[in-house]
Amino acid sequence: MTDFLNSPIGVLSLTLAQALALLVPLLIFVAYLTWAERKILGAMQLRKGPNVVGFFGLLQPFADAGKMLMKETIVPAGASRVLFIMAPMLTFSLAMIAWAVIPVNEGWAVADINVGVLYLFAISSLGVYGIIIAGWASNSKYAFLGALRSAAQMVSYEVSMGFVIVTVLLCVGSLNLTDVVLAQKTVWFFIPLFPMFVIFFISTLAETNRAPFDLPEGESELVAGFFVEYSAMTFALFFLGEYANMILMSSLTTILFLGGWLPPFDVAPLNLVPGPVWFILKVCFCLFVFVWVRATFPRYRYDQLMRLGWKVFLPISLIWLVITAGVLKVAGWLPT
Amino acid sequence: MSEVKLIKVTVDGKEVEVPLGATALQAAELAGAEIPRFCYHERLSIAGNCRMCLVEVEKAPKPVASCAFPVMDGMKIITDSPTVRNARRGVMEFLLINHPLDCPICDQGGECDLQDQAMAYGGDSSRYHENKRSVTDKYLGPLIKTIMTRCIQCTRCVRFATEVAGVPELGAVGRGEAMEITTYVEKALSSELSGNLIDICPVGALTSRPYAFMTRPWELTKTDSIDVLDAMGTNIRVDARGPDVLRILPRVHEEVNEEWMADRGRFSFDALKKRRLDRPWIREGGKLRAASWPEAFGAIAAKFKGLPGERIGAVAGGLADAESIVALKDLMGALGSSNLDCREDGAALDGSNRAFYLFNSGITGIDVADAVIIIGSNPRLEAPVLNSRIRRKVMNNRMPVAAIGPRADLTYPVQYLGDGPAAIAEVLGGAFGEVLRNAKRPMILVGRGALARLDGAAVLAAAWGLAQSLNAVREDWNGFNLLHTQGGQVAALDLGFLPGQGGKGLGAMLGGGVDALWLLGADAFDPALIAPGTFVIYQGHHGDRMAGRADVILPGATYLEKDGTYVSTEGRVQRGRRGVFPPGEAREDWRIIRAASELLGHPLPYDDLFGVRSRLVGANPVFERVDELPPPAVVSAIPAGDAGAVGSEPFVPFITNYYQADVMGRASDVMAECARTHAPTPAMAAE
Amino acid sequence: MATLDRIARSLLLTEIISGMGLTLRAFFKPKATINYPSERSPLSPRFRGEHALRRYPNGEERCIACKLCEAVCPAVCITIESEPREDASRRTTRYDLDMTKCIYCGLCEEACPVDAIVLGPNLEFATETREELLYNKEKLLDNGDRWEPVLAARLKADAPFR
Repeated sequence: MTDFLNSPIGVLSLTLAQALALLVPLLIFVAYLTWAERKILGAMQLRKGPNVVGFFGLLQPFADAGKMLMKETIVPAGASRVLFIMAPMLTFSLAMIAWAVIPVNEGWAVADINVGVLYLFAISSLGVYGIIIAGWASNSKYAFLGALRSAAQMVSYEVSMGFVIVTVLLCVGSLNLTDVVLAQKTVWFFIPLFPMFVIFFISTLAETNRAPFDLPEGESELVAGFFVEYSAMTFALFFLGEYANMILMSSLTTILFLGGWLPPFDVAPLNLVPGPVWFILKVCFCLFVFVWVRATFPRYRYDQLMRLGWKVFLPISLIWLVITAGVLKVAGWLPT
Repeated sequence: MSEVKLIKVTVDGKEVEVPLGATALQAAELAGAEIPRFCYHERLSIAGNCRMCLVEVEKAPKPVASCAFPVMDGMKIITDSPTVRNARRGVMEFLLINHPLDCPICDQGGECDLQDQAMAYGGDSSRYHENKRSVTDKYLGPLIKTIMTRCIQCTRCVRFATEVAGVPELGAVGRGEAMEITTYVEKALSSELSGNLIDICPVGALTSRPYAFMTRPWELTKTDSIDVLDAMGTNIRVDARGPDVLRILPRVHEEVNEEWMADRGRFSFDALKKRRLDRPWIREGGKLRAASWPEAFGAIAAKFKGLPGERIGAVAGGLADAESIVALKDLMGALGSSNLDCREDGAALDGSNRAFYLFNSGITGIDVADAVIIIGSNPRLEAPVLNSRIRRKVMNNRMPVAAIGPRADLTYPVQYLGDGPAAIAEVLGGAFGEVLRNAKRPMILVGRGALARLDGAAVLAAAWGLAQSLNAVREDWNGFNLLHTQGGQVAALDLGFLPGQGGKGLGAMLGGGVDALWLLGADAFDPALIAPGTFVIYQGHHGDRMAGRADVILPGATYLEKDGTYVSTEGRVQRGRRGVFPPGEAREDWRIIRAASELLGHPLPYDDLFGVRSRLVGANPVFERVDELPPPAVVSAIPAGDAGAVGSEPFVPFITNYYQADVMGRASDVMAECARTHAPTPAMAAE
Repeated sequence: MATLDRIARSLLLTEIISGMGLTLRAFFKPKATINYPSERSPLSPRFRGEHALRRYPNGEERCIACKLCEAVCPAVCITIESEPREDASRRTTRYDLDMTKCIYCGLCEEACPVDAIVLGPNLEFATETREELLYNKEKLLDNGDRWEPVLAARLKADAPFR
């Protein structure tokens, strides 16, 4: 058995099994995230939200999926066919690939690599391509403008996000995500690094093109932004990708600031609950805030968005980075 | 006539000068103050029975009815004060006591004097809770529908019938609330002006029967046009909704029709939908078949090919517009034909001088004339509105009228001097000759019927001679008047649509003088007169008798369906505008001729309305002056006929059936109904 | 001071927090949703739904072709043609109502002198083709016959306020 597991085929099948064990629940999670979003939005707008399909509307995601599958994939005349089809596939697969390094529990990562943070950063930066390609291949002005906005926005916020992560990494001394979590055993990083936590969370909103930073798909001026020409499964892939990214960013927030799978206090009833449960609860909280923010705030104007990114978040995160580094150096808390 | 004395009156603080004898209402109108009224009508006598026109006069103890109150020098009239308003509100409440609240189903709704004035001067509610009066509807013939419950007893209709129409058949019986307007015995109103009752009725008691419940006034598209069914040049307003003409109303033109209109012009428009030629037809193998325009033009071109010009002829009918007449004349000229005629009834009209074929005195000339002799005409049937003008002059000034021709009821006393043209020569010797000689402005009114005879030219010369010997043709007055019967005739004469140099007249053309005959709406003569071998092109709008004889039928437009220029019998150039579009394939007549000219290889040099109208002015400068009359002038020429050659045949009535005297009337159901109603009752065996 | 206050407010995210507090409170409030096909909100007697042409109790149609509704209609969706019926009464030969143009303002109902055209309580008259929404007189009278008890009750309920 051990031989088999060490053989190349064994490693491959094990990895596949691990990936499936992660992705299948993930996709179900995504499906129910859409349902939960609609329910929460409804509740905050004094509505009931979906409640017809299945008990409590629980079958709504499957009804939506069925609808998406049944519909026709329309490729606009004048669109670049290959790129047009490729773009949603790219977006979706990048959203999935990023999950390889997320540790749900100690050692529970498909690839527990030492450059996990860098890997995530690289993958999320690649996500821009899916959007740019989609916008360009649609051969539509709305899609194109949406894609341009999206790219500019993601690139801008990645900068401040980067500095925030660097701050965390200064405190941890490792790029391995498991190490990041374990470094929070004494105190979760959101307490000492609270401003960074806020900046990071807001930046993830912008990074995932969520309200109030959903300018790339601003209905009032761009119809639906970069995926205006997409229908059926191609649209569904974008949709899944976006929500998978939301969960990914929530996981990242959990890992970087909320102590990953760690219980809030290492005391009797709390530390008996398995780590993944804590992890999922924290992710769910983050996602709730995502939706909560969407229900609360109106969309930013584009210049305000850019001003916030470049003139507020970037200097604050830089300053905080310097302060953190200084404090660590002076107090001698630098990790070895 | 003595100078009118002007006096000063103050209306609402504004001083105006009015002639002595004017009423307070007229003074107020001059001052620009609006006075509500129902019974008062400026062209009828004053009744003073509606009391709506109450005004306050200083020092008068109570409000006075302004329509019947003569003004005096220095009088102060107040038209808008609490007293006046209260008085009017009270009058309105009384009027509405017995007036039904059926405005939603009333055809007058939306253009009702009572409605408007109740809004402007009435109160807001009624205090009358008892039962309203109801009145039996009266029968006034097929044109007028009565709902007598709505009547407010203003007696305008009674006065109109008695004073203007000259048929004292309406009257009021009963008193107070029991008063009713009635015809005494049930019979249709025997007037050719009966339609005007509908206009003068201030409420919905007298409404148009053919128009009943058809539409609402606000839905109608209103187009100003000219009536051509008689030669008066009556100004009309065509009310259409979508493709349908729904009614025709007269427009006010003081010098022509004042505000009246004859029944045939008013009610025969339902012919627009009946028996219409709405597509070209070609005779093939002895039978007519529906064809397309190119086919019809092709058939004409095939026939005309190789045909010398002198073998082609054209006849213009009495309803044709000047534009199509000039186009047809130009086309015939291009084809080398001078065989033109517009006298389809064979009347011996002389086109050499405009004075020979016009109503030279003008219609307003009747108001200043002081003796009239009518030769071979029945103006009551040939121009009812003109006849009512003569009647007014006779009634107001006891103008003597004599007639030569068949006896007829002209609604005023007439002295008959004979029944044939021979009597013309004897006029001056008789008692009436003295009257004419003493008259400052004698009128000689010659009917079209007097000329449509074999000795027509001689009759014309004799009548002209009579005018000359009375010195009736002079610098300031031309008393020679020819009364035409159809609105297109004078324009055709003005354009010289008569046989040219070496051209054949109507008689020669019919008798085989031409191989191809183009009839522009000409259908007054018997088709059987046309020689058998003649190729007949009929351009007209109704499938009348001439269409059956035609070899090619070109569907044209009626006068309500085209922009046309017409010249009235007095020589007044007027323009009618298109009220609706012609049906189906039918087109404006001059455009048909223009299109045909293209295919016949002689394209006419104009292709829009502006171009053809410029051509009209080029053909005769009178067409430049729209709605203007030339001043009277001395005419030294004399008509070509020999006055001594008059025959002994008596004149016969030119129009025997007023309602069906033209192609529109013959196609109209309403006119057919009128003709049936007014046909002479057959004598009973017991009589 | 004011500047400092403003900076403090924006850095401490006070407005953001109060805004989110508002939505969170709404989150726990009772919901206003009505499950439409199975639950319905009450309809006012003045509700303006599908049109109907009413009849008198003896079966005679009320409309007298006065065309006031046609004249008042701001969307110009009513077309009426009329002529005398055999019994010489004034009736419509055509009463067309283009439901795709109608804006349900109810002015036709206000204008009608005989309460013939009314806007009824029916709001579920969606169709699968556009043509079905071009109502003619027959359809409108049919509506009137079907809804008459309700229509009469509604007019009666609203009568004291007119």
